[in-house]
Amino acid sequence: MLINKKTLEHLVELSRIELDKKSEEKLLGDLQKILGHFEELEGVDTENVEPIAGGTELKNVFREDESNVSCQMSNVKIVEAFPEKENGFLKVPPIFQNNE
Amino acid sequence: MDIRDLTIKKFHEGLVNKQFSVFEITKAFFNYIKEKDSRINAYLRLTEDSALSRANKVDIELAEGKNLGILAGIPLAIKDNILIEGELATAGSKILENYRASYDATVIKKLKKSGAVFLGKTNMDEFAMGSSTENSAFKITKNPHDLERVPGGSSGGSAAAVASDMAVAALGSDTGGSIRQPAGFCGVVGLKPTYGAVSRNGLIAMASSLDQIGPITKTVEDAGILFEAIKGKDELDATSATNSEFRIQNSELQDIRKLKIGLPKEYFAGGLIKEVEEAIEEAIKNLKSLKIEFKEISLPHTKYALSCYYIIMPAEVSANLARFDGVRYARLSDAKLRIHANAANKSELLNIYLKTRGEGFGDEAKRRIILGTFVLSSGYYDAYYSKAQKVRRLIKEDFDKAFEEVDVILTPVSPTPAFKIGEKTDDPLQMYLSDIFTIPVNLAGLPALSIPVNPKPKTQNLKPNLPVGFQLIGKPFREVDILGIGQYYEKIIE
Repeated sequence: MLINKKTLEHLVELSRIELDKKSEEKLLGDLQKILGHFEELEGVDTENVEPIAGGTELKNVFREDESNVSCQMSNVKIVEAFPEKENGFLKVPPIFQNNE
Repeated sequence: MDIRDLTIKKFHEGLVNKQFSVFEITKAFFNYIKEKDSRINAYLRLTEDSALSRANKVDIELAEGKNLGILAGIPLAIKDNILIEGELATAGSKILENYRASYDATVIKKLKKSGAVFLGKTNMDEFAMGSSTENSAFKITKNPHDLERVPGGSSGGSAAAVASDMAVAALGSDTGGSIRQPAGFCGVVGLKPTYGAVSRNGLIAMASSLDQIGPITKTVEDAGILFEAIKGKDELDATSATNSEFRIQNSELQDIRKLKIGLPKEYFAGGLIKEVEEAIEEAIKNLKSLKIEFKEISLPHTKYALSCYYIIMPAEVSANLARFDGVRYARLSDAKLRIHANAANKSELLNIYLKTRGEGFGDEAKRRIILGTFVLSSGYYDAYYSKAQKVRRLIKEDFDKAFEEVDVILTPVSPTPAFKIGEKTDDPLQMYLSDIFTIPVNLAGLPALSIPVNPKPKTQNLKPNLPVGFQLIGKPFREVDILGIGQYYEKIIE
């Protein structure tokens, strides 16, 4: 179930990472080696084993859906950290463009 | 007063006895760092102005007769993935080169309250991904014991800073061994707390079900002091827990003797090089002299931990690092982006994503994001991610069973001492294997302590041997056990 060039290209696009051809080749080799190592897991009997998402079996923590003032940061500081801003809003490049 | 001898404990005594002021000693640390760090490269940047003004404040409080705690004035080094308000926080990545934190991490807030002084931010593998600190986008940190070798990683800067006396203690983070392995390589103490014992709020996330912040110190006692200061429930981290017991100061030898230590046979079955094997035998011998009982145990799924980890961790990485999109955090220069924006037949926004992430992330980050995307993608999810989560349960259950027989588990920290710079950079799988003894602990959410088998050799002329560490793994929220044994261990070898 190893990875091929076509799958890698798809993953690169999904991950939104631009790669040149040379890095892509190196990455393909690395990933094949790493995934090859994972094949050892096929030998583990996991029938009737429930997956876990963490080591300590945490329970859901519920709270009222109310804003907690003590948790809030200053809005100004967050806006300051935006790379581009306008009138206190985060400026984002156009999402819809004319694509014929 | 030689700053090189200072531990948290000694610093506090010196301060109480008015042997120095916080301001003058902080100044002395900066002078020492400026002289020494050009060879070690532990720090990414110093925070001298804010450190000196904090130092001054503590001195004033001291003069006013305020009751200062044990951490008052203590000069600390902070890993660069932990946020300090107003300071840069790059996490060792080019993509966050210009990112300035808008708030304090909870651990920083707590340390500020206790009067600690932050000397600077330390080098690390990009987003804490690595075992040698060679994945930093900015510089290569050297091992203070041998400048041709790595300090370990990913908290290599923090470990090297403490080992070379450029800080009294430091904070690191540990996802698969990133506190314990560099502590072992540099001959200092490192504690990875139980998952949930310390708030992760303000830690730049790598793999959220595995990450924990913890101390890197010169002594086990110091690790306990720092851990006590940063632990506890935090409403800003829903996974932080309330039940972390802590009463290490009261551990009596008779209590320590009641603890049984397990030696998992899977960790000793071949693969250990001679230096490590001998060092571990020495550590066991030393502990036996305390009349602590040992028992062989089995953790049968140990050998699957590495594969399990390298599926689960990248899966979480691919999600956590999606936020670095060039829109919300720092980004590449606009001019550079605009050129590419309309170059290809893609939208401007998509091009910003592709360029920012393509240029901003280093090779290891890219590898893990893409690997994580793969194991989560439709058609592969069951074979990889879901399978790994099941194996994770089996690994955790191994520990649960072992802890019915013993209280603490002893293992090596790493299969080898510090390796040469450049030795493993071309082969990611070889690099991953250096965390083989530390990874299972994170998968099971347990606390673990890395302690040097021998204290730091003080001889300057005779070339000292490379440090080797041993690891004590505790039951969940029983940091008290591993720190207790560690403290008595230090007393024997003093």
